[in-house]
Amino acid sequence: MSGVNQRALVLLVAGFTVWSVGFVALYALQALGCAYEWPQHRAILIGADVVSLLPLIWLAMMKPVREGEPATSLSVTALWANRAALASGVLVFLPVTFVSACI
Amino acid sequence: MTDPIRLHKELSAIWGTPGRWGRLSSVNHTVLGKRFMVVALTFFAIGGFLSMLIRAQLATPNSAFIGPEIYNQIFTMHGTVMMFLFAIPMFEGFVIYMLPKMLGARDMAFPRLTAYGFWCYLFGGSILIIALLVGAAPDSGWFMYTPLSSRPYTPGINADVWLLGLTFVEISAVTAAIEIFISILKMRAPGMSLARMPLIGWYMLVTSGMMIVGFPPLILGAILLELERAFDLPFFDPTRGGDPLLWQHLFWLFGHPEVYIIFLPAAGALSTIIPVFAQRTILGYRSIIAAIVAMGFLSFGLWVHHMFTVGIPHLALAFFSAASALVAVPTAIQIFAWIGTLASGRPRWDIPMLYVAGFFCVFVIGGLTGVMLAMVPFNTQAHDSYFVVAHLHYVLVGGFVFPMLAGIYHWMPHISGRQSLYRLSVPAFWLIFVGFNLTFFLMHLTGLMGMPRRISTYPSNWGWDWLNLLSSIGGFILTMGFCLVLADLVLQWRFGRRYRRDPWKAQTLEWATATPPAPYNFAALPRVDRRADMLEPAEIGPVLAGGTGYLGFVRDGEQETLGVDMFTGEPEHVIVLPRRTFLPLWTALATASVFLALLFRQYWLVPFGALLTLGMFLLWPRTLGRREDTGPVDIGMGEQVPFDVESKSNASVLANLAALIMNGTLFTSLLFGALFLLVIAPNWDGVAPMSLPLWAGVVAIVLAIAGAALSWLARSRNAAGGEAMPWLIGSAVAMAAATVLLVLLMTLVPDPTGHARNAVVFTLLGYGALHTALGALMSAHGGWRIMQGYVSTRRSTEMTLAWLWCFYAAAASLLSVAMATLLSAAA
Ligand code: HEM
Ligand SMILES: [Cu+2]
Repeated sequence: MSGVNQRALVLLVAGFTVWSVGFVALYALQALGCAYEWPQHRAILIGADVVSLLPLIWLAMMKPVREGEPATSLSVTALWANRAALASGVLVFLPVTFVSACI
Repeated sequence: MTDPIRLHKELSAIWGTPGRWGRLSSVNHTVLGKRFMVVALTFFAIGGFLSMLIRAQLATPNSAFIGPEIYNQIFTMHGTVMMFLFAIPMFEGFVIYMLPKMLGARDMAFPRLTAYGFWCYLFGGSILIIALLVGAAPDSGWFMYTPLSSRPYTPGINADVWLLGLTFVEISAVTAAIEIFISILKMRAPGMSLARMPLIGWYMLVTSGMMIVGFPPLILGAILLELERAFDLPFFDPTRGGDPLLWQHLFWLFGHPEVYIIFLPAAGALSTIIPVFAQRTILGYRSIIAAIVAMGFLSFGLWVHHMFTVGIPHLALAFFSAASALVAVPTAIQIFAWIGTLASGRPRWDIPMLYVAGFFCVFVIGGLTGVMLAMVPFNTQAHDSYFVVAHLHYVLVGGFVFPMLAGIYHWMPHISGRQSLYRLSVPAFWLIFVGFNLTFFLMHLTGLMGMPRRISTYPSNWGWDWLNLLSSIGGFILTMGFCLVLADLVLQWRFGRRYRRDPWKAQTLEWATATPPAPYNFAALPRVDRRADMLEPAEIGPVLAGGTGYLGFVRDGEQETLGVDMFTGEPEHVIVLPRRTFLPLWTALATASVFLALLFRQYWLVPFGALLTLGMFLLWPRTLGRREDTGPVDIGMGEQVPFDVESKSNASVLANLAALIMNGTLFTSLLFGALFLLVIAPNWDGVAPMSLPLWAGVVAIVLAIAGAALSWLARSRNAAGGEAMPWLIGSAVAMAAATVLLVLLMTLVPDPTGHARNAVVFTLLGYGALHTALGALMSAHGGWRIMQGYVSTRRSTEMTLAWLWCFYAAAASLLSVAMATLLSAAA
């Protein structure tokens, strides 16, 4: 029982944790690329965008564990949170594909 | 069957607070929660008084009422007092008072820490107010932008008052955050799994989590700025390789989440109050949890929207603009859940509901202007105009003050044991509601007409006169409303009707206590067998008072409550809480000596104060713990669990873990600052590479890692029943040696005041040295506890703590030396 609950709690924050890491990474890559004038800046940004979306997609497609009353409710909540994280990732990271990076 | 009266007397004798001077030794959460709230409301009154002065000054053009110098102090103090001395402590007090009662515990996890936090809050806040009275209050705005707040432009002690006073106050926020986090995870009624917690538990879990990672950047910023002001280390000085923007990043990394840290507890109160008056359970329990989690994270991803106009690339603008607009979505989900709950229930109109309705109107407008401001083009137009002032008050007053008033009317009967008289409550509400909108709605218009914020006066030919006058009149109507509320509360306290139990027919546990509550909350702890916002307090209350439930007895005259499994809520151990003591007060006074010495630039006194404080803290655990293994003991209901000292995941270990995470966030912010300056800051070309003896750094790291390994060995030796002492001594010695080397390296950094690079290297090494020293201290403390007989194979908390801190110290010195090396190569 504790195991199922624990897993649900980890899943509950997993998606947005990935989102935060992706966010920070993209922001850092943007700044570093401009400071050191990377030639492949845009490609790197788009690559990082894709890399951070992959785990989000995976999390958003997971099946919730349906086992016992209390466990279930958190695990469904976790799924919703992870789908929200995916949506946030898609929307917030989207600008890296087209907006001018250094001005 | 126990006799309820006798049980009550026995428990009261243990948990109660004596009168007179003895009151100052209280560590009880009911007492301290009330104190926090009363002090916070006092600061609210002070902040409100300052806003009256602001509005009096701005009522007419070319006004000579207070003049620009005082005006700057007044608006800075208004913002600072409202945000740091009213809003945060107010909800801390509310949570400290309410949380154990709602979750079914007898107190918070660390009662003495609660008391210490309270004293730090009171003393720190008083420093600020006294400074205001003597005309030396901070005057660079509540976000204290550098270089305005740097020494050359603010030479007096005004800025130091802000930096030091608030850091002192922040101690209470930090300790409260850890305490709330751990109390929610470990101290619930048996059977209350996470998924059965009342929503407010979730709100507070996320809020305290946000505080754990949100406050460190501000604290670091304050430390760095104070180091710059006191010792001329140029972190923010662009002429010497610093960057004022670093301050803005650190401040808003904290500052934006802060707004949600204030709003989420208020939303938690709403999620508790609305179902009661809708007479049904809340709609969308699970989606609300998801929304809170989403908000908690998203609100960190938009700090740069406060810096849209500082000149950053389009991409960064787009990034933060999108995140800012997005955070409205989880907010909207909650609002729809509340409206849905009301719509599908049988709403009962009562005073708290008036304020809930007020909240809806005001907060939604604030949310809408917020989305407007998240759009970069509009933001550029409205930046730092009165439009922003209007927006921020719609959000803060709508999102905190209205829910708080709803909460006060809802829970006041719990605190006082009396119900409202209602005569003044309704007119008071209308004065507040009308006054508020009159004051602040018009500010949208003055803002759009171009009136900038933070100006002490304006000429009369720009068409702002009437709007400002009406705003000021609104402000005074608003204040009259607050005065009526105050009168109403006093009358209720004196003459309100007494009632039996649960006057609102609420379904959460806090109404199962006696009202006003006994110092131990529950004579016995209940078993919760369903979602904890669907209980029947009027029925369980008397049963618990009769001692039927867990721990419905007194053992050894100790303050006992239950610790549960974090996830399932099954009883795991008996927590023995420390009794009342004056130690928190003395420790806070010792801490105050450090801050006062810094403030008055008596730096030679600082080390003495710091050692005194540390010494005091080392006295705290003296009386905690046990000298023999007891094994499982009775907790009633036919169940047995061990004491907390014999349990692996006890609250102390978790709290230290949380403290280390917090500390780690501070360190990460420091590393971020170092990188930021390296990459972004001007005037880094042509600084000569720094030659520090690399061998010393490497040896220090090796020693620190050895210290950590030895403390790990000590822990596993102890767990296997062997001698831990020699390993602990080894660990302490290795850590101390590492400290010496790191301090030596610090002395070799060439002129830290010459360039930000040197200053950062110096600080990084200092951070490493401080933590290896702490590691040494923790190992030595473990040895001391072994000598006193507090440690055994099963009682191993001290061993775990030593290992945790040594491990952290090793990682910190590794990273700080590595970053220092990277920076010293920069040219
Ligand atoms: C009681 C009614 C209140 C009135 C009449 C009022 C009035 C004002 C005014 C006129 C300003 C503009 C100062 C300027 O930018 O020149 C201001 C700023 C501010 N207010 Fe209020 N306020 C009230 C309540 C609150 C509350 C409850 C909070 C927070 C919980 C708050 C937080 C702030 C902050 C953070 C600022 C910005 C200060 C700065 O620019 O440094 N206010 N207030
Ligand atoms: Cu913001």
